[in-house]
Amino acid sequence: MNDPRIDQMIVDMSLYQCLECGKCTASCPRRLSGKEYSPRLLAHKVIAEREDEAYIENSVWECLTCGMCRERCPSGVDFNRFILEMRAMLAETKGLKGYRAHDGAIHSWMRMMTTPGLKQNRLDWVDSDIQVARSGEVAFFAGCAPYFDVFFAGIEVDTISIAKDSIRLLNFLDIKPVLLPDERCCGHDLLWSGDVENFEALCRLNFKTFKDAGIREIIVSCPECYQVLSEHMPGIVSGFDIKVTLLIDLLQQELKKGGLAFRPLKRKATFQDPCRLVRMLDRSSGPRELLGLVPEMTFVEMENSGRGALCCGNCGFINCDAYSKQIQVARLKEAKATGADLLITACPKCMIHLTCTIRDRMRHGKKIKMEIRDLASVLADGIEYSG
Amino acid sequence: MEPVRILGICCNWSPFVCYNAAGMTGLNMPSNFRLIRVMCIGRINQALILRAFEFGADGVILLECKDEDCRYGPGPEVGHENVNRVRKLLHLLGISQERLVERTFGAHEKVALVQTVWKFAVEIDALGPLKKRSDGKPVRTTM
Repeated sequence: MNDPRIDQMIVDMSLYQCLECGKCTASCPRRLSGKEYSPRLLAHKVIAEREDEAYIENSVWECLTCGMCRERCPSGVDFNRFILEMRAMLAETKGLKGYRAHDGAIHSWMRMMTTPGLKQNRLDWVDSDIQVARSGEVAFFAGCAPYFDVFFAGIEVDTISIAKDSIRLLNFLDIKPVLLPDERCCGHDLLWSGDVENFEALCRLNFKTFKDAGIREIIVSCPECYQVLSEHMPGIVSGFDIKVTLLIDLLQQELKKGGLAFRPLKRKATFQDPCRLVRMLDRSSGPRELLGLVPEMTFVEMENSGRGALCCGNCGFINCDAYSKQIQVARLKEAKATGADLLITACPKCMIHLTCTIRDRMRHGKKIKMEIRDLASVLADGIEYSG
Repeated sequence: MEPVRILGICCNWSPFVCYNAAGMTGLNMPSNFRLIRVMCIGRINQALILRAFEFGADGVILLECKDEDCRYGPGPEVGHENVNRVRKLLHLLGISQERLVERTFGAHEKVALVQTVWKFAVEIDALGPLKKRSDGKPVRTTM
Protein backbone atom coordinates (compact mmCIF):
# COMPACT_ATOMS: atom_id res chain seq x y z
CA MET A 1 0.00 0.00 0.00
CA ASN A 2 3.05 2.25 -0.03
CA ASP A 3 3.08 1.99 -3.78
CA PRO A 4 3.62 5.46 -5.26
CA ARG A 5 1.22 4.50 -8.03
CA ILE A 6 -1.62 4.91 -5.51
CA ASP A 7 -0.58 8.54 -4.87
CA GLN A 8 -0.69 9.11 -8.58
CA MET A 9 -4.13 7.50 -8.84
CA ILE A 10 -5.44 9.76 -6.08
CA VAL A 11 -4.38 12.76 -8.14
CA ASP A 12 -5.43 11.41 -11.53
CA MET A 13 -8.84 10.22 -10.41
CA SER A 14 -9.54 13.38 -8.35
CA LEU A 15 -9.88 11.58 -5.02
CA TYR A 16 -8.67 14.70 -3.19
CA GLN A 17 -11.76 16.46 -4.53
CA CYS A 18 -13.99 14.16 -2.47
CA LEU A 19 -16.31 16.22 -0.24
CA GLU A 20 -17.28 13.21 1.88
CA CYS A 21 -20.88 14.03 0.98
CA GLY A 22 -21.65 10.32 0.78
CA LYS A 23 -23.80 10.46 -2.33
CA CYS A 24 -21.72 7.64 -3.81
CA THR A 25 -22.41 5.29 -0.94
CA ALA A 26 -26.06 6.32 -0.70
CA SER A 27 -26.58 5.35 -4.34
CA CYS A 28 -24.29 2.30 -4.46
CA PRO A 29 -26.35 -0.82 -5.31
CA ARG A 30 -24.03 -2.92 -3.14
CA ARG A 31 -24.75 -0.70 -0.14
CA LEU A 32 -28.48 -0.47 -0.94
CA SER A 33 -28.74 -4.25 -1.00
CA GLY A 34 -27.47 -4.31 2.58
CA LYS A 35 -23.76 -5.00 2.19
CA GLU A 36 -21.29 -3.11 4.36
CA TYR A 37 -19.72 -1.37 1.42
CA SER A 38 -18.83 2.28 1.00
CA PRO A 39 -17.09 4.02 -1.89
CA ARG A 40 -16.84 7.14 0.29
CA LEU A 41 -15.00 5.28 3.03
CA LEU A 42 -12.75 3.61 0.48
CA ALA A 43 -11.72 7.04 -0.82
CA HIS A 44 -11.10 8.22 2.73
CA LYS A 45 -9.04 5.16 3.65
CA VAL A 46 -6.93 5.42 0.53
CA ILE A 47 -6.17 9.07 1.27
CA ALA A 48 -5.82 9.05 5.04
CA GLU A 49 -5.64 5.52 6.48
CA ARG A 50 -3.70 3.53 4.02
CA GLU A 51 -2.49 1.13 6.69
CA ASP A 52 -5.95 -0.45 6.68
CA GLU A 53 -4.90 -2.68 3.81
CA ALA A 54 -7.54 -5.34 4.36
CA TYR A 55 -10.38 -2.83 4.07
CA ILE A 56 -8.97 -1.21 0.95
CA GLU A 57 -8.25 -4.47 -0.81
CA ASN A 58 -11.65 -5.97 -0.02
CA SER A 59 -13.46 -2.87 -1.20
CA VAL A 60 -11.50 -2.70 -4.43
CA TRP A 61 -12.44 -6.29 -5.30
CA GLU A 62 -16.04 -6.03 -4.04
CA CYS A 63 -17.06 -3.17 -6.33
CA LEU A 64 -19.51 -4.04 -9.12
CA THR A 65 -18.03 -1.25 -11.31
CA CYS A 66 -21.56 -0.23 -12.31
CA GLY A 67 -20.50 3.43 -12.20
CA MET A 68 -23.38 4.77 -10.12
CA CYS A 69 -20.97 6.43 -7.63
CA ARG A 70 -19.19 8.24 -10.43
CA GLU A 71 -22.54 9.25 -11.87
CA ARG A 72 -23.70 10.81 -8.60
CA CYS A 73 -20.39 12.33 -7.48
CA PRO A 74 -20.60 16.14 -7.52
CA SER A 75 -16.79 16.42 -7.51
CA GLY A 76 -15.99 14.29 -10.52
CA VAL A 77 -14.15 11.53 -8.67
CA ASP A 78 -13.46 8.89 -11.31
CA PHE A 79 -14.28 5.83 -9.23
CA ASN A 80 -14.47 3.41 -12.14
CA ARG A 81 -10.96 4.12 -13.32
CA PHE A 82 -9.71 4.09 -9.76
CA ILE A 83 -11.12 0.59 -9.19
CA LEU A 84 -9.81 -0.57 -12.56
CA GLU A 85 -6.26 0.64 -11.92
CA MET A 86 -6.22 -0.50 -8.29
CA ARG A 87 -7.28 -4.00 -9.38
CA ALA A 88 -4.56 -4.12 -12.00
CA MET A 89 -1.98 -2.99 -9.43
CA LEU A 90 -3.17 -5.37 -6.69
CA ALA A 91 -3.34 -8.28 -9.13
CA GLU A 92 0.21 -7.58 -10.19
CA THR A 93 1.58 -7.32 -6.65
CA LYS A 94 -0.65 -9.72 -4.70
CA GLY A 95 -2.28 -11.94 -7.29
CA LEU A 96 -5.76 -12.13 -8.72
CA LYS A 97 -8.37 -11.82 -6.00
CA GLY A 98 -12.10 -11.52 -5.95
CA TYR A 99 -14.42 -14.49 -6.02
CA ARG A 100 -14.79 -15.60 -9.63
CA ALA A 101 -18.32 -16.72 -10.39
CA HIS A 102 -18.84 -20.16 -11.96
CA ASP A 103 -15.49 -21.06 -10.38
CA GLY A 104 -13.63 -19.00 -12.96
CA ALA A 105 -14.65 -21.07 -16.01
CA ILE A 106 -15.40 -17.94 -18.01
CA HIS A 107 -12.05 -16.34 -17.22
CA SER A 108 -10.35 -19.67 -18.01
CA TRP A 109 -11.61 -19.83 -21.59
CA MET A 110 -10.79 -16.16 -22.05
CA ARG A 111 -7.21 -16.82 -20.95
CA MET A 112 -7.00 -19.91 -23.14
CA MET A 113 -7.79 -17.65 -26.10
CA THR A 114 -4.43 -15.92 -25.66
CA THR A 115 -2.79 -18.90 -27.40
CA PRO A 116 -1.52 -17.40 -30.68
CA GLY A 117 -2.10 -20.38 -32.99
CA LEU A 118 -5.66 -20.99 -31.80
CA LYS A 119 -7.92 -22.40 -34.53
CA GLN A 120 -11.42 -21.95 -33.19
CA ASN A 121 -14.66 -23.48 -34.47
CA ARG A 122 -16.68 -20.46 -33.46
CA LEU A 123 -18.88 -20.05 -36.54
CA ASP A 124 -20.84 -23.34 -36.56
CA TRP A 125 -24.02 -21.35 -35.92
CA VAL A 126 -23.92 -19.41 -39.18
CA ASP A 127 -26.80 -20.52 -41.41
CA SER A 128 -28.80 -19.32 -44.40
CA ASP A 129 -30.95 -16.97 -42.25
CA ILE A 130 -28.12 -14.46 -42.35
CA GLN A 131 -25.99 -13.13 -45.16
CA VAL A 132 -22.31 -12.79 -44.45
CA ALA A 133 -19.34 -12.08 -46.68
CA ARG A 134 -16.20 -14.18 -47.05
CA SER A 135 -14.06 -11.10 -47.29
CA GLY A 136 -14.56 -7.37 -47.09
CA GLU A 137 -13.75 -4.35 -45.00
CA VAL A 138 -16.63 -4.50 -42.53
CA ALA A 139 -16.75 -7.19 -39.87
CA PHE A 140 -19.27 -8.01 -37.17
CA PHE A 141 -17.69 -8.82 -33.79
CA ALA A 142 -19.53 -11.70 -32.12
CA GLY A 143 -17.11 -11.90 -29.20
CA CYS A 144 -17.97 -14.54 -26.61
CA ALA A 145 -21.52 -15.13 -27.87
CA PRO A 146 -20.86 -18.71 -29.06
CA TYR A 147 -19.20 -19.53 -25.74
CA PHE A 148 -21.87 -18.04 -23.48
CA ASP A 149 -24.46 -19.86 -25.58
CA VAL A 150 -22.92 -23.21 -24.61
CA PHE A 151 -22.05 -22.31 -21.04
CA PHE A 152 -25.43 -20.83 -20.15
CA ALA A 153 -27.52 -23.33 -22.11
CA GLY A 154 -28.60 -24.64 -18.71
CA ILE A 155 -30.47 -21.42 -17.94
CA GLU A 156 -31.67 -21.18 -21.53
CA VAL A 157 -29.94 -17.91 -22.34
CA ASP A 158 -29.50 -17.84 -26.08
CA THR A 159 -26.70 -15.39 -26.85
CA ILE A 160 -26.22 -16.66 -30.42
CA SER A 161 -29.62 -15.32 -31.38
CA ILE A 162 -28.41 -11.83 -30.38
CA ALA A 163 -25.52 -12.12 -32.83
CA LYS A 164 -27.79 -13.55 -35.54
CA ASP A 165 -30.42 -10.88 -35.05
CA SER A 166 -27.76 -8.16 -35.16
CA ILE A 167 -26.58 -9.52 -38.51
CA ARG A 168 -30.18 -9.75 -39.79
CA LEU A 169 -30.51 -6.03 -39.01
CA LEU A 170 -27.24 -5.31 -40.82
CA ASN A 171 -28.54 -7.25 -43.84
CA PHE A 172 -31.56 -4.94 -43.92
CA LEU A 173 -29.10 -2.04 -44.04
CA ASP A 174 -27.47 -3.72 -47.05
CA ILE A 175 -24.41 -4.68 -45.06
CA LYS A 176 -23.04 -8.21 -45.38
CA PRO A 177 -20.45 -8.31 -42.64
CA VAL A 178 -17.43 -10.57 -42.48
CA LEU A 179 -17.40 -12.98 -39.54
CA LEU A 180 -13.86 -13.68 -38.41
CA PRO A 181 -13.24 -17.35 -37.57
CA ASP A 182 -10.43 -16.49 -35.20
CA GLU A 183 -11.45 -13.32 -33.44
CA ARG A 184 -11.18 -13.71 -29.69
CA CYS A 185 -13.01 -12.48 -26.65
CA CYS A 186 -12.61 -8.71 -26.28
CA GLY A 187 -11.15 -9.35 -22.81
CA HIS A 188 -13.53 -7.07 -20.91
CA ASP A 189 -13.94 -9.49 -18.02
CA LEU A 190 -10.20 -10.11 -17.74
CA LEU A 191 -9.55 -6.37 -17.68
CA TRP A 192 -12.10 -5.69 -14.96
CA SER A 193 -10.95 -8.65 -12.89
CA GLY A 194 -7.38 -7.36 -12.88
CA ASP A 195 -5.75 -9.67 -15.43
CA VAL A 196 -4.14 -6.96 -17.52
CA GLU A 197 -1.45 -9.20 -19.03
CA ASN A 198 -3.92 -11.55 -20.70
CA PHE A 199 -6.29 -8.71 -21.53
CA GLU A 200 -3.55 -6.95 -23.47
CA ALA A 201 -2.58 -10.20 -25.18
CA LEU A 202 -6.18 -10.57 -26.41
CA CYS A 203 -6.21 -6.96 -27.66
CA ARG A 204 -3.04 -7.49 -29.67
CA LEU A 205 -4.21 -10.81 -31.10
CA ASN A 206 -7.59 -9.35 -32.06
CA PHE A 207 -5.96 -6.39 -33.74
CA LYS A 208 -3.72 -8.72 -35.75
CA THR A 209 -6.76 -10.81 -36.75
CA PHE A 210 -8.59 -7.67 -37.93
CA LYS A 211 -5.59 -6.39 -39.89
CA ASP A 212 -4.77 -9.77 -41.47
CA ALA A 213 -8.35 -9.97 -42.74
CA GLY A 214 -8.15 -6.44 -44.17
CA ILE A 215 -10.91 -5.16 -41.87
CA ARG A 216 -11.37 -1.39 -41.61
CA GLU A 217 -14.59 -1.23 -39.65
CA ILE A 218 -15.92 -3.43 -36.86
CA ILE A 219 -19.60 -3.38 -35.95
CA VAL A 220 -20.36 -4.40 -32.38
CA SER A 221 -23.67 -5.00 -30.63
CA CYS A 222 -22.42 -5.72 -27.10
CA PRO A 223 -21.69 -2.53 -25.10
CA GLU A 224 -18.81 -4.18 -23.22
CA CYS A 225 -17.07 -5.25 -26.44
CA TYR A 226 -17.72 -1.80 -27.89
CA GLN A 227 -16.20 -0.06 -24.89
CA VAL A 228 -13.10 -2.25 -24.99
CA LEU A 229 -12.60 -2.00 -28.75
CA SER A 230 -13.24 1.72 -28.98
CA GLU A 231 -11.78 3.03 -25.72
CA HIS A 232 -9.21 0.56 -24.38
CA MET A 233 -7.72 -1.06 -27.47
CA PRO A 234 -6.37 2.15 -29.03
CA GLY A 235 -4.37 2.71 -25.83
CA ILE A 236 -2.82 -0.75 -25.94
CA VAL A 237 -2.24 -1.38 -29.64
CA SER A 238 -0.16 1.32 -31.24
CA GLY A 239 -1.44 2.46 -34.61
CA PHE A 240 -4.98 1.23 -33.94
CA ASP A 241 -6.77 2.53 -37.03
CA ILE A 242 -9.97 0.51 -37.16
CA LYS A 243 -13.33 2.24 -37.01
CA VAL A 244 -15.48 0.75 -34.27
CA THR A 245 -19.22 1.18 -34.70
CA LEU A 246 -21.93 0.44 -32.16
CA LEU A 247 -24.89 -1.26 -33.81
CA ILE A 248 -27.36 1.02 -32.00
CA ASP A 249 -25.62 4.15 -33.36
CA LEU A 250 -25.58 2.73 -36.87
CA LEU A 251 -29.27 1.81 -36.73
CA GLN A 252 -30.23 5.25 -35.45
CA GLN A 253 -28.33 6.90 -38.26
CA GLU A 254 -29.51 4.58 -41.04
CA LEU A 255 -33.17 4.34 -40.06
CA LYS A 256 -33.45 8.13 -40.37
CA LYS A 257 -32.78 7.74 -44.08
CA GLY A 258 -36.12 5.96 -44.56
CA GLY A 259 -37.00 2.84 -46.50
CA LEU A 260 -37.29 0.68 -43.41
CA ALA A 261 -40.06 0.36 -40.86
CA PHE A 262 -41.20 -1.99 -38.13
CA ARG A 263 -44.24 -4.21 -37.91
CA PRO A 264 -46.52 -3.42 -34.96
CA LEU A 265 -45.74 -5.17 -31.70
CA LYS A 266 -48.59 -5.19 -29.22
CA ARG A 267 -46.52 -5.50 -26.10
CA LYS A 268 -45.87 -3.37 -23.07
CA ALA A 269 -42.11 -3.14 -22.72
CA THR A 270 -39.52 -1.63 -20.41
CA PHE A 271 -35.76 -1.25 -20.81
CA GLN A 272 -32.88 -2.40 -18.62
CA ASP A 273 -30.08 0.14 -19.19
CA PRO A 274 -26.70 -1.65 -19.29
CA CYS A 275 -24.11 0.24 -17.21
CA ARG A 276 -21.45 0.28 -19.95
CA LEU A 277 -23.90 1.48 -22.59
CA VAL A 278 -25.66 4.13 -20.61
CA ARG A 279 -23.40 5.48 -17.88
CA MET A 280 -20.01 4.93 -19.48
CA LEU A 281 -20.89 5.43 -23.15
CA ASP A 282 -23.80 7.85 -22.63
CA ARG A 283 -26.20 6.12 -25.01
CA SER A 284 -29.44 6.23 -22.99
CA SER A 285 -31.49 7.87 -25.73
CA GLY A 286 -30.48 5.51 -28.58
CA PRO A 287 -32.36 2.39 -27.51
CA ARG A 288 -35.44 4.45 -26.58
CA GLU A 289 -35.44 6.23 -29.92
CA LEU A 290 -35.22 2.89 -31.75
CA LEU A 291 -37.97 1.31 -29.66
CA GLY A 292 -40.08 4.41 -30.34
CA LEU A 293 -40.14 3.39 -34.01
CA VAL A 294 -42.02 0.16 -33.22
CA PRO A 295 -45.75 0.83 -33.72
CA GLU A 296 -48.29 -0.14 -31.08
CA MET A 297 -45.65 -0.97 -28.49
CA THR A 298 -46.21 0.70 -25.15
CA PHE A 299 -42.92 1.74 -23.62
CA VAL A 300 -42.75 2.34 -19.90
CA GLU A 301 -39.79 3.42 -17.79
CA MET A 302 -38.78 1.77 -14.55
CA GLU A 303 -38.49 3.77 -11.34
CA ASN A 304 -34.75 4.02 -11.91
CA SER A 305 -33.88 4.38 -15.56
CA GLY A 306 -31.40 5.89 -17.97
CA ARG A 307 -28.17 7.01 -16.33
CA GLY A 308 -29.71 6.33 -12.92
CA ALA A 309 -30.64 2.72 -13.75
CA LEU A 310 -30.02 -0.02 -11.23
CA CYS A 311 -27.20 -2.47 -11.97
CA CYS A 312 -28.01 -5.99 -13.23
CA GLY A 313 -26.09 -7.22 -10.20
CA ASN A 314 -22.72 -8.32 -11.50
CA CYS A 315 -19.90 -7.32 -13.78
CA GLY A 316 -16.99 -9.29 -15.15
CA PHE A 317 -18.26 -12.44 -13.44
CA ILE A 318 -16.57 -11.66 -10.17
CA ASN A 319 -18.10 -11.38 -6.71
CA CYS A 320 -21.57 -12.59 -7.52
CA ASP A 321 -23.12 -13.19 -4.12
CA ALA A 322 -26.38 -13.00 -2.18
CA TYR A 323 -26.22 -9.19 -2.41
CA SER A 324 -25.92 -9.41 -6.19
CA LYS A 325 -29.03 -11.58 -6.16
CA GLN A 326 -30.85 -8.98 -4.05
CA ILE A 327 -30.02 -6.26 -6.57
CA GLN A 328 -31.31 -8.47 -9.36
CA VAL A 329 -34.54 -9.21 -7.51
CA ALA A 330 -34.99 -5.48 -6.82
CA ARG A 331 -34.40 -4.68 -10.46
CA LEU A 332 -36.83 -7.32 -11.69
CA LYS A 333 -39.44 -6.08 -9.22
CA GLU A 334 -39.01 -2.58 -10.64
CA ALA A 335 -39.54 -4.01 -14.11
CA LYS A 336 -42.66 -5.88 -12.96
CA ALA A 337 -44.03 -2.78 -11.24
CA THR A 338 -44.23 -0.99 -14.58
CA GLY A 339 -46.85 -3.50 -15.71
CA ALA A 340 -44.66 -4.43 -18.68
CA ASP A 341 -44.62 -8.00 -19.98
CA LEU A 342 -41.34 -7.67 -21.87
CA LEU A 343 -37.99 -6.60 -20.48
CA ILE A 344 -35.66 -5.40 -23.20
CA THR A 345 -31.95 -5.00 -22.65
CA ALA A 346 -28.98 -4.31 -24.90
CA CYS A 347 -26.23 -6.29 -23.19
CA PRO A 348 -25.96 -10.09 -23.10
CA LYS A 349 -24.57 -9.89 -19.55
CA CYS A 350 -27.69 -8.14 -18.24
CA MET A 351 -29.70 -10.91 -19.86
CA ILE A 352 -27.57 -13.67 -18.35
CA HIS A 353 -27.55 -12.23 -14.83
CA LEU A 354 -31.25 -11.37 -14.68
CA THR A 355 -32.30 -14.69 -16.25
CA CYS A 356 -30.18 -16.53 -13.69
CA THR A 357 -32.19 -14.89 -10.90
CA ILE A 358 -35.56 -15.46 -12.57
CA ARG A 359 -34.77 -19.16 -12.91
CA ASP A 360 -33.54 -19.54 -9.34
CA ARG A 361 -36.10 -21.84 -7.74
CA MET A 362 -35.35 -20.47 -4.30
CA ARG A 363 -36.32 -16.95 -5.37
CA HIS A 364 -39.58 -15.13 -5.83
CA GLY A 365 -41.08 -17.21 -8.63
CA LYS A 366 -43.85 -15.48 -10.51
CA LYS A 367 -43.29 -12.15 -8.78
CA ILE A 368 -40.13 -11.60 -10.82
CA LYS A 369 -40.75 -13.84 -13.82
CA MET A 370 -40.62 -11.95 -17.08
CA GLU A 371 -39.58 -12.43 -20.69
CA ILE A 372 -36.19 -10.85 -21.40
CA ARG A 373 -35.10 -10.08 -24.95
CA ASP A 374 -32.24 -8.20 -26.50
CA LEU A 375 -32.96 -4.95 -28.30
CA ALA A 376 -31.42 -6.36 -31.50
CA SER A 377 -33.79 -9.35 -31.41
CA VAL A 378 -36.89 -7.20 -30.82
CA LEU A 379 -35.92 -4.93 -33.73
CA ALA A 380 -34.86 -7.75 -36.07
CA ASP A 381 -38.16 -9.59 -35.57
CA GLY A 382 -40.16 -6.55 -36.67
CA ILE A 383 -38.06 -4.85 -39.33
CA GLU A 384 -39.35 -4.68 -42.91
CA TYR A 385 -38.85 -2.66 -46.08
CA SER A 386 -41.33 0.17 -46.50
CA GLY A 387 -42.39 2.04 -49.61
CA MET B 1 9.47 -32.58 -28.53
CA GLU B 2 8.10 -32.01 -25.05
CA PRO B 3 6.15 -35.02 -23.76
CA VAL B 4 2.41 -34.59 -23.43
CA ARG B 5 0.93 -34.09 -19.98
CA ILE B 6 -2.01 -36.22 -18.95
CA LEU B 7 -4.25 -35.58 -15.97
CA GLY B 8 -6.56 -38.13 -14.43
CA ILE B 9 -9.28 -36.91 -12.11
CA CYS B 10 -10.17 -39.93 -10.04
CA CYS B 11 -13.13 -40.65 -7.78
CA ASN B 12 -12.05 -41.82 -4.34
CA TRP B 13 -14.28 -44.92 -4.46
CA SER B 14 -14.34 -47.56 -7.21
CA PRO B 15 -11.74 -46.03 -9.57
CA PHE B 16 -9.30 -45.25 -6.78
CA VAL B 17 -9.70 -48.78 -5.41
CA CYS B 18 -8.70 -49.96 -8.90
CA TYR B 19 -5.79 -47.52 -9.04
CA ASN B 20 -4.58 -48.58 -5.60
CA ALA B 21 -4.90 -52.28 -6.40
CA ALA B 22 -3.05 -51.73 -9.68
CA GLY B 23 -0.20 -50.13 -7.75
CA MET B 24 -0.14 -52.97 -5.20
CA THR B 25 0.19 -55.56 -7.96
CA GLY B 26 2.93 -53.57 -9.68
CA LEU B 27 1.00 -52.55 -12.80
CA ASN B 28 2.74 -49.54 -14.31
CA MET B 29 1.09 -46.29 -15.28
CA PRO B 30 2.40 -43.95 -17.99
CA SER B 31 5.14 -41.70 -16.56
CA ASN B 32 3.44 -38.56 -17.90
CA PHE B 33 0.21 -39.38 -16.07
CA ARG B 34 -0.74 -37.34 -12.98
CA LEU B 35 -3.67 -38.17 -10.76
CA ILE B 36 -5.92 -35.94 -8.69
CA ARG B 37 -8.07 -37.83 -6.23
CA VAL B 38 -11.47 -36.33 -5.40
CA MET B 39 -14.23 -37.60 -3.16
CA CYS B 40 -16.68 -37.87 -6.06
CA ILE B 41 -16.66 -36.94 -9.75
CA GLY B 42 -19.77 -34.88 -8.95
CA ARG B 43 -17.43 -32.51 -7.13
CA ILE B 44 -15.74 -31.60 -10.42
CA ASN B 45 -17.36 -28.79 -12.35
CA GLN B 46 -16.84 -27.33 -15.82
CA ALA B 47 -14.42 -24.72 -14.49
CA LEU B 48 -12.05 -27.26 -12.92
CA ILE B 49 -11.85 -29.28 -16.13
CA LEU B 50 -11.19 -26.14 -18.18
CA ARG B 51 -8.59 -25.04 -15.65
CA ALA B 52 -6.64 -28.27 -16.17
CA PHE B 53 -6.25 -27.32 -19.83
CA GLU B 54 -5.52 -23.71 -18.92
CA PHE B 55 -2.69 -24.91 -16.66
CA GLY B 56 -1.12 -27.02 -19.36
CA ALA B 57 -2.77 -30.45 -19.49
CA ASP B 58 -2.81 -31.96 -22.97
CA GLY B 59 -5.43 -34.54 -22.10
CA VAL B 60 -7.84 -35.00 -19.20
CA ILE B 61 -9.51 -38.27 -18.25
CA LEU B 62 -12.26 -38.47 -15.64
CA LEU B 63 -12.19 -41.81 -13.82
CA GLU B 64 -15.67 -42.37 -12.42
CA CYS B 65 -17.77 -44.97 -10.63
CA LYS B 66 -20.53 -46.76 -12.52
CA ASP B 67 -23.74 -44.71 -12.34
CA GLU B 68 -25.41 -47.20 -10.01
CA ASP B 69 -22.37 -47.43 -7.68
CA CYS B 70 -22.12 -43.75 -6.72
CA ARG B 71 -21.88 -43.36 -2.94
CA TYR B 72 -23.61 -40.00 -3.06
CA GLY B 73 -26.22 -40.38 -5.80
CA PRO B 74 -25.82 -38.30 -8.91
CA GLY B 75 -21.99 -38.06 -9.11
CA PRO B 76 -21.37 -39.83 -12.43
CA GLU B 77 -24.40 -38.13 -14.05
CA VAL B 78 -22.94 -34.74 -13.05
CA GLY B 79 -19.69 -35.94 -14.63
CA HIS B 80 -21.40 -36.85 -17.94
CA GLU B 81 -23.17 -33.48 -18.07
CA ASN B 82 -19.97 -31.53 -17.37
CA VAL B 83 -17.92 -33.49 -19.88
CA ASN B 84 -20.58 -32.84 -22.55
CA ARG B 85 -20.60 -29.10 -21.87
CA VAL B 86 -16.82 -28.72 -21.63
CA ARG B 87 -16.36 -30.74 -24.82
CA LYS B 88 -18.55 -28.18 -26.60
CA LEU B 89 -16.40 -25.36 -25.21
CA LEU B 90 -13.22 -27.20 -26.23
CA HIS B 91 -14.64 -27.61 -29.73
CA LEU B 92 -15.21 -23.83 -29.90
CA LEU B 93 -11.62 -23.30 -28.78
CA GLY B 94 -10.42 -25.63 -31.52
CA ILE B 95 -9.22 -28.20 -29.01
CA SER B 96 -9.94 -31.77 -30.11
CA GLN B 97 -12.78 -33.26 -28.09
CA GLU B 98 -10.81 -36.49 -27.81
CA ARG B 99 -8.60 -34.69 -25.29
CA LEU B 100 -11.36 -34.95 -22.68
CA VAL B 101 -12.85 -38.32 -21.90
CA GLU B 102 -14.69 -40.01 -19.03
CA ARG B 103 -14.64 -43.70 -18.18
CA THR B 104 -16.49 -45.63 -15.51
CA PHE B 105 -15.16 -48.54 -13.49
CA GLY B 106 -16.40 -51.07 -11.01
CA ALA B 107 -14.20 -51.60 -7.93
CA HIS B 108 -12.71 -54.82 -9.32
CA GLU B 109 -11.56 -53.46 -12.68
CA LYS B 110 -7.93 -52.60 -11.96
CA VAL B 111 -6.62 -54.06 -15.20
CA ALA B 112 -9.26 -52.26 -17.26
CA LEU B 113 -8.36 -48.96 -15.56
CA VAL B 114 -4.66 -49.33 -16.27
CA GLN B 115 -5.35 -50.33 -19.89
CA THR B 116 -7.72 -47.38 -20.32
CA VAL B 117 -5.16 -44.88 -19.05
CA TRP B 118 -2.43 -46.36 -21.30
CA LYS B 119 -4.75 -46.24 -24.31
CA PHE B 120 -5.63 -42.62 -23.52
CA ALA B 121 -1.94 -41.74 -23.12
CA VAL B 122 -1.17 -43.24 -26.55
CA GLU B 123 -4.05 -41.32 -28.13
CA ILE B 124 -2.98 -38.01 -26.61
CA ASP B 125 0.61 -38.68 -27.58
CA ALA B 126 -0.57 -39.11 -31.18
CA LEU B 127 -2.44 -35.80 -31.00
CA GLY B 128 0.68 -34.13 -29.62
CA PRO B 129 0.97 -31.29 -27.13
CA LEU B 130 -1.61 -28.52 -27.20
CA LYS B 131 -0.47 -25.22 -28.63
CA LYS B 132 0.92 -23.09 -25.87
CA ARG B 133 1.64 -19.39 -25.64
CA SER B 134 4.33 -17.91 -27.83
CA ASP B 135 6.85 -18.19 -24.97
CA GLY B 136 6.15 -21.92 -24.82
CA LYS B 137 4.50 -21.77 -21.41
CA PRO B 138 0.96 -22.92 -20.71
CA VAL B 139 -1.54 -20.12 -20.36
CA ARG B 140 -1.18 -20.12 -16.61
CA THR B 141 1.20 -21.81 -14.22
CA THR B 142 0.21 -20.32 -10.88
CA MET B 143 -3.01 -19.35 -9.22
